[in-house]
Amino acid sequence: MSAHAPTDSSPAYSTTTPPELQRVPLVLGQRSLGWISDKISSIVEGDTPRWWWYAFIPSFLIATLGFAAIGYMITTGIGVWGLNNPVMWGWAIVNFVWWIGIGHAGTLISAILFLLRQKWRTSINRAAEAMTIFAVMCAGIFPAIHVGRVWYLWYPLPIPNGNDIWPQFRSPLLWDVFAVSTYFTVSLLFWYMGLIPDLATLRDRLRVQALRLTDPAAKFINKAKQALYGFFALGWTGSNRHWSHYEKMYLLLAGLSTPLVLSVHSIVSFDFAVSQVPGWHTTIFPPYFVAGAIFSGFGMVLTLMIPMRSLFKLEEIITERHIELMCKVTLATGSIVGYAYGMEFFIAWYGGSPYELYAFKNRAFGPYWWAYWIMVSCNVISPQFFWFKKVRTNMVAVFVLSIFVNIGMWFERFVIVVTSLHRDFLPASWGHYGPTWVDVVTYVGTMGFFMTLFLLFIRFLPLIAISEVKGVTPQADPHHELGGATREGARG
Amino acid sequence: MSRAHGILAEYPTPAAAMAAAVRVRDAGYSRWDVHTPFPVHGMDEAMGLKNSPVGWFTFLGGLSGYTGGMLMIWFMNAYHYDIVVGGKPLFSGFYAFPVCYELTILLGAFGSILGMLILNRLPRWHHPLLSNLRFAQVTHDKFFLVIECDDVKYDEARARALLQAGADHIEMVEDD
Amino acid sequence: MSAHATAAAHAHAEDHVPTMWERLPWMAAALGFLGCLAGYVFEGPKNFAHAYLVAFMFFLSLGLGAFFLVVIHHLFDAYWSVPTRRFLEHLACLLPWMALFFLPIGLLSGDLYYWMNVDPAKDHSLAVKQVLFNKATWGVASAALFGIWWLWTHRLRGWSLRQDETGAAECTTAMRRWAASGIFVFAFSLTAAAIFWMKSLEHQFFSTMYGVYYFAGSVWMTLATAYAIALLLRRSGRVPMMGQEQFHSLAKLLFAFTVFYAYIHFSQYFLIWNAAMPEETFWYAKREQGTWAIVGWVIILGHFVLPFLVLLRIDAKLSTKVVIPIFVWVWLMHHLDLQFNIMPLVQPEGPAFLISTLGALLFIGGLLAALFLWDLRRHPAFPLKDPRMGEVVRH
Repeated sequence: MSAHAPTDSSPAYSTTTPPELQRVPLVLGQRSLGWISDKISSIVEGDTPRWWWYAFIPSFLIATLGFAAIGYMITTGIGVWGLNNPVMWGWAIVNFVWWIGIGHAGTLISAILFLLRQKWRTSINRAAEAMTIFAVMCAGIFPAIHVGRVWYLWYPLPIPNGNDIWPQFRSPLLWDVFAVSTYFTVSLLFWYMGLIPDLATLRDRLRVQALRLTDPAAKFINKAKQALYGFFALGWTGSNRHWSHYEKMYLLLAGLSTPLVLSVHSIVSFDFAVSQVPGWHTTIFPPYFVAGAIFSGFGMVLTLMIPMRSLFKLEEIITERHIELMCKVTLATGSIVGYAYGMEFFIAWYGGSPYELYAFKNRAFGPYWWAYWIMVSCNVISPQFFWFKKVRTNMVAVFVLSIFVNIGMWFERFVIVVTSLHRDFLPASWGHYGPTWVDVVTYVGTMGFFMTLFLLFIRFLPLIAISEVKGVTPQADPHHELGGATREGARG
Repeated sequence: MSRAHGILAEYPTPAAAMAAAVRVRDAGYSRWDVHTPFPVHGMDEAMGLKNSPVGWFTFLGGLSGYTGGMLMIWFMNAYHYDIVVGGKPLFSGFYAFPVCYELTILLGAFGSILGMLILNRLPRWHHPLLSNLRFAQVTHDKFFLVIECDDVKYDEARARALLQAGADHIEMVEDD
Repeated sequence: MSAHATAAAHAHAEDHVPTMWERLPWMAAALGFLGCLAGYVFEGPKNFAHAYLVAFMFFLSLGLGAFFLVVIHHLFDAYWSVPTRRFLEHLACLLPWMALFFLPIGLLSGDLYYWMNVDPAKDHSLAVKQVLFNKATWGVASAALFGIWWLWTHRLRGWSLRQDETGAAECTTAMRRWAASGIFVFAFSLTAAAIFWMKSLEHQFFSTMYGVYYFAGSVWMTLATAYAIALLLRRSGRVPMMGQEQFHSLAKLLFAFTVFYAYIHFSQYFLIWNAAMPEETFWYAKREQGTWAIVGWVIILGHFVLPFLVLLRIDAKLSTKVVIPIFVWVWLMHHLDLQFNIMPLVQPEGPAFLISTLGALLFIGGLLAALFLWDLRRHPAFPLKDPRMGEVVRH
């Protein structure tokens, strides 16, 4: 069917697609449903690849070093960090915002793209959600330790302290406590809910594999694994009555996670924007922070996925099209961030407040000019390369650009935090800020912690949502020929 | 001691399972189910299932989160220990909003998940189907339909005949 | 076959006898013109100018919103929006016509923008931005905006119409190119329009969110309008593939922008409220005087809560009985929102009915509707050979 005859009111139209505009399928190579579960489960079931150890051991050591630095800070005092008057918020808050921003891409992929019925999300959502959870864990470390005396950490909880005083809900820091803990809890639950059918897959595969085992030790390990995966699969049988409630629940969680992810970084931006500090108080902060968060998160997703798909030979599931689409999201959000940078600068001038204008001039041309221009070139200029298909399909180029995005977004938070504080209203209290080795080791340590968790995840859990990927193949469609439909009933 | 749980039919494609589901639905069975590796689009209609009521649990959770949050903040900052900070009113829906918003989502999410678990009677440690080896393919690439023996209309021969078309295999499942 | 299609379209246009519905816009415009005259004479140029600006910004929203939706359609390579694209292109092509309706604003600019009558040396907030805020720059920038909009909207529609005949892939590629640059042009031109024509009414006020705020309301209002137009086109049978998918998606976007607008306006208000700096709060303080405080609440409830609750359910999104009243309501709310921005300058005690308000709406709206219907008549009602048409028909 390529042309349609005209009717009285509508002219003839055609439904052909020129070859250069044909869409690429989401799972390449016309693979069977069974192939998908075999392929993804084999990563968990097979032997540990050598490269995994090469990645895991240094990550683990770096994480340990990071925690040692935190231990040193707690036992010695917050003075071991570079903080001092007037910059009382340094790397800790920069790292916090950076990590939490990275998490946002996972929720965007799992929730917002789900609501938008973007089927390509299924190949990447599991790993991206895991990334979210681990990133929020890394983020959570910093506000927890930056209070200095960590044994007072329970103060922001709604419990009265010794003087019967309650926490102060007018403070944006308290909003943060609720936002971040809600974000972590809901992301974890969402991720786990998505895992249930796949855990059942692993459980059932172990049951079949048990038949082939003769060695009692191997049998015992198999039984133990069955019990463990089976426990977390909650007795899932793939019942359609269950799927019906499950899908509704999943949709509702996506519906709840969408306003949640937008609110989390908005609330993080409130930490700055409700104040009167020049460079911090600006009304565009909430959407600008959210766009920046998604931008940085997609940067990190690309950084993780590109090596992962080639190491595990997943090019047929995480295709070039997936990478391209992620590049486009990065481009869009990077451009929104660029708009916000421009707007901030413009309104600083337009508003006529000399302090505000000075704060921005100081950002671009003051002692931290290099940080500002790293930020602009990494966040606004580097994603513009993604306009070109040649770049988007060149994995090395995408990987390099994604690293730039990660760097740029770290510097954005550095610029916001440090340049606004180091020269505020009183020139007498101006100062300079730099980190100490403890700051650096702690930050690098969280990267090790993140990588450790992520490597454990890809080793022990299915890193791609098996049941969801099956669901987007033509074989899964009962109205498609490959799904068993008869020729007359089939479409397409 | 084992007793019959139900009759199990295996289908190679979603379309075959769906056609069988339509037949079983039209035959008026009530204790039966289709088991698939992924949610099959259109299976709810084929089985005659109603729209899931999980949304009500979400609504109740969200509502209690929002009102609970507002009450908590009013109680803590405007009633039990009222103290003026930053020139802001003792209580205002504005400053209380971010926290209540988060609590709405948190309890809404709890509500959704609890609702799903309650409606599905999950988690459960044991299910007769889970000891059937053939059924292990349900999370792989096979589609199953089970009619339980408890069904008032159950009759093995009739059920077998009903499930026959398109099925690769039919067998009885025991509960041990 | 392509010749056939265009011939059919032409025949359609030539044999045309205007129906009552097509005469209506002209009658509305004529009535509106009289209303504007009466408003100018009896309510004074100042009142008239402000009421007219509200109507102007209201219909500008429609053109900008449509421009945005067309651009986004190309950038996302979406298929569902193919049947809606042609009429959105027509709506976007109304933007250059807005230059005509801008003339009264240009002529009455002295009554609208009081910074034009202030000595910059005596006004700090004007002095700092004098480079931008002087009559010459203001006029040139305004003219440039219409020029930019003409170029992009007509290029996008031009390639689209060319594809109706050739079906060539190069048309899609060209449209994508114009859309790629168009998204930047859109962002900057919309912001500039919002600042020059609306925010500058009170030149002391500044908010980095302001452009996004106007954007959110504009796209919201355009989506509701698009739903209504899509419905009429389906009724007329001119777009046979317009179906549930299109209505559902448009309604979902409408819902999303209901939330987005609320998010944007809440953020702006919330941050200004919290920081409590007088150079910003004066703007909202003025809008809490008299009955404007009630309008603020009406906006919270009517611009957000009501459409949010109504559109939450999927069956509501697909029911014309629900969405058509919502469409009327959206128009009312967006107009009220613009009044909230503009009218407190002449009506400090609260909104009051003006003949000018009604007259300006009928005048601009009527003429734009006539232009739109003319465009709709003389071109095929949907992109005939769009490469994604196959997907639209299959889904």
